[in-house]
Amino acid sequence: MAAALTAAQAGLIGCEHCGLLVRAASADEPGHCPRCGSPLESRRRQSIERTWALVIAAAICYIPANLLPVLGTTTLGSTEYDTIMGGVVFLYTSGSWPLALIVLIASVMVPLGKLIALGYLLISVQRRSSSSNRERTRLYRMVEFIGRWSMLDVFVDTFTVALVQLSPLMAVSPGPGVMFFAAVVVLTMIAATTFDPRLIWDAGGEPESRIG
Amino acid sequence: MADALDSNTLPQATLTPPRRSRISAIWLIPLLAAAVAIGIAVNRILNEGPTISILFQSAEGVEANKTIIKYKDVKIGQVTAVELHQNYSKVMVTARIDKHAEGLMVEDAKFWVVQPQVTLSGVSGLSTLLSGNYIGFEMGKSSKPQRHFTGLKVAPVIPIDQPGREFELTASDLGSVSVGSPLYFRRLQVGQVMTYQLAPDGNSVSISVFVNAPFDHFVSAQTRFWNASGVDVSLGDGGLDVRTQSLVSLLVGGIAFATPSSAVEPAPATADTTFVLYADRATAMKQPETISRHYVLYFTESLRGLTVGAPVTLFGLPAGEVADVGIDIDPATTEVRGRVEIVAYPERLVSDMHTEQSSSAQAMVQNPEQSHAFFQRLVMDRGLRAQLRSGSLLTGQLFVAFDFFPDAPKAEVDWGPKMPVIPTVPGTVTNLEDKVSDILAKVDKIPFETIGSEVAQTLLALNEAIKDIDKAVNRIDKGVIPELKPAISAVRSAMMSADRVLKNTDATLLGKDAPGQLELRDALQEVSRAARSLRVLTDYLERNPSSLIRGKNGEKP
Ligand SMILES: [Zn+2]
Repeated sequence: MAAALTAAQAGLIGCEHCGLLVRAASADEPGHCPRCGSPLESRRRQSIERTWALVIAAAICYIPANLLPVLGTTTLGSTEYDTIMGGVVFLYTSGSWPLALIVLIASVMVPLGKLIALGYLLISVQRRSSSSNRERTRLYRMVEFIGRWSMLDVFVDTFTVALVQLSPLMAVSPGPGVMFFAAVVVLTMIAATTFDPRLIWDAGGEPESRIG
Repeated sequence: MADALDSNTLPQATLTPPRRSRISAIWLIPLLAAAVAIGIAVNRILNEGPTISILFQSAEGVEANKTIIKYKDVKIGQVTAVELHQNYSKVMVTARIDKHAEGLMVEDAKFWVVQPQVTLSGVSGLSTLLSGNYIGFEMGKSSKPQRHFTGLKVAPVIPIDQPGREFELTASDLGSVSVGSPLYFRRLQVGQVMTYQLAPDGNSVSISVFVNAPFDHFVSAQTRFWNASGVDVSLGDGGLDVRTQSLVSLLVGGIAFATPSSAVEPAPATADTTFVLYADRATAMKQPETISRHYVLYFTESLRGLTVGAPVTLFGLPAGEVADVGIDIDPATTEVRGRVEIVAYPERLVSDMHTEQSSSAQAMVQNPEQSHAFFQRLVMDRGLRAQLRSGSLLTGQLFVAFDFFPDAPKAEVDWGPKMPVIPTVPGTVTNLEDKVSDILAKVDKIPFETIGSEVAQTLLALNEAIKDIDKAVNRIDKGVIPELKPAISAVRSAMMSADRVLKNTDATLLGKDAPGQLELRDALQEVSRAARSLRVLTDYLERNPSSLIRGKNGEKP
């Protein structure tokens, strides 16, 4: 793909806050916006480092989110705890495989997919890969879009806990896994916004010293 | 494109001193996440209790990841796997024990499956109807840790921390006593039979009983134990004597104990004391006789009804018993007369005496010469004679009574070659069989066997029904069960009223219209009705499990 001239290459920076297009003071120190005084950034500061940190944190949380129970069901004195995978297996064995599939996709595959996608974007940017930039941008947009919808399990959990309180006959309580699950969702959402998609296109042009 | 812009017209950015770049604070987030995750993992590993295995003959209602192990109603572990073992003849249950209960897993710890059970001595495990079966646990005394156990078939009778003491009884046969049979003291249940076993020589049975604290305090070295199973009807010279402990003991056997009031040393018995289990109360409470004197009596009247062991009384107080009954022919006169040999226990009379005199009387009893002389004086001066009297109203049994007949012809004790012969007077035996047959008929009418089999059958039916419910409830996992509650409470109240009646019945068993029997019958019918309705409900639930949540069709839930 032919690389178009970027604003950075032209020594120009758009103020992210008031939208003023200014000439950068220098390539290394873009300076401040003369109109609103905000610091100018050609690319989001430390985008890759921050995104990596958040992706790694999300990946760490992903393990206990799947190992710890997310839901405790108390029926007449005996309490059972279910993990996400336990719930998927239960739904599948009890015959409702479409539901099992939905839970599997929304709760296991999507968070994992987001982590892998962000990791791939980060690595490809760091390696200055210039191929399939368009696809990578599309992937990034998907990750950003999906972010708020992968809360499905946390939603279901919250609703169930709020609705099913027929104590002492039956009660439902959240398990510790929910916290980690929410953490994965929130961290990947922040990571998606921290990642600067402009970096994808930088690789095609001149070497960028401001990355990182 | 670029040259269309005049870059000089664009505003110039202002420059501020550069900030030093350092490692971003953002890395605190993954560090924090890692710390929390590792913390949880470490906590899990540290709190991981031991995994144990228990071998059961059968593990009814035990499910992996569902059944829990309880001790004093507190969860101490959970079953993780249930599998067949040892040529498929046994069930191996694997369970993870909570960390806090790790110290309980010692050599002689006991496990058993708790399920609803209706027995003659009560209803147990009713809560498992709703929560499912669980594994009961009883701690051991040992301190040696163990991980592999063999489960018990039934729950142990006595919890290990139950205060009290164990005593050993020996009996000629087991009778109707079984494990769990009640132990009574003044008709109060104070313990249970723990185990029994045949003596190595096969000549006796040894029975271990447990007396709960503080009642174990009443067991002294002189305490007598007797078999309290069934109804003890004795027709002695004191009239009709009916003794029962309770209807429960009638059905499942029981043991009673008491200490004779004459016992001199009421100090509590040591734990290793062995007692004899007597057949009945009368035998148990009989005094051991230290001094016995033999006398011969001659009667000219019929001795029909006088048996060996018949009582000999003085002033109506027991003073001895008949040792031998026979006839005697005087070769010179060819006179045939009845010869009765009696054994007198003078100490018995001394124990009935006033305390101030008993010591001098005791001294006289110890000295045969002195007591003979005293006896001779009683016979000669006061007219002491032996007489046959009708003792038993029921069978026309006779007993020997000593009484004073001042008008009787003068006689004296004949200190014969072997045994002294005491003069007698003719008896006045009256037949009271009419009165007796009345009482006999009443006792006859009590349908003990029917009561027993009815109770057993009803309980069996109830147990079956409860098991059905149990299965249905287990199947409808996590169901909300509004209809089951009234049915179960109906069974419970019916059984409680049956139990109450069982407890009260023996008091009123021999009443005029025997109301206890009627009540018992009513209660039993109530129990079987409840069992029937439970069965109907179970069947309905099996066909329409959804009704648990929605209620019956056409009805509001
Ligand atoms: Zn600005």
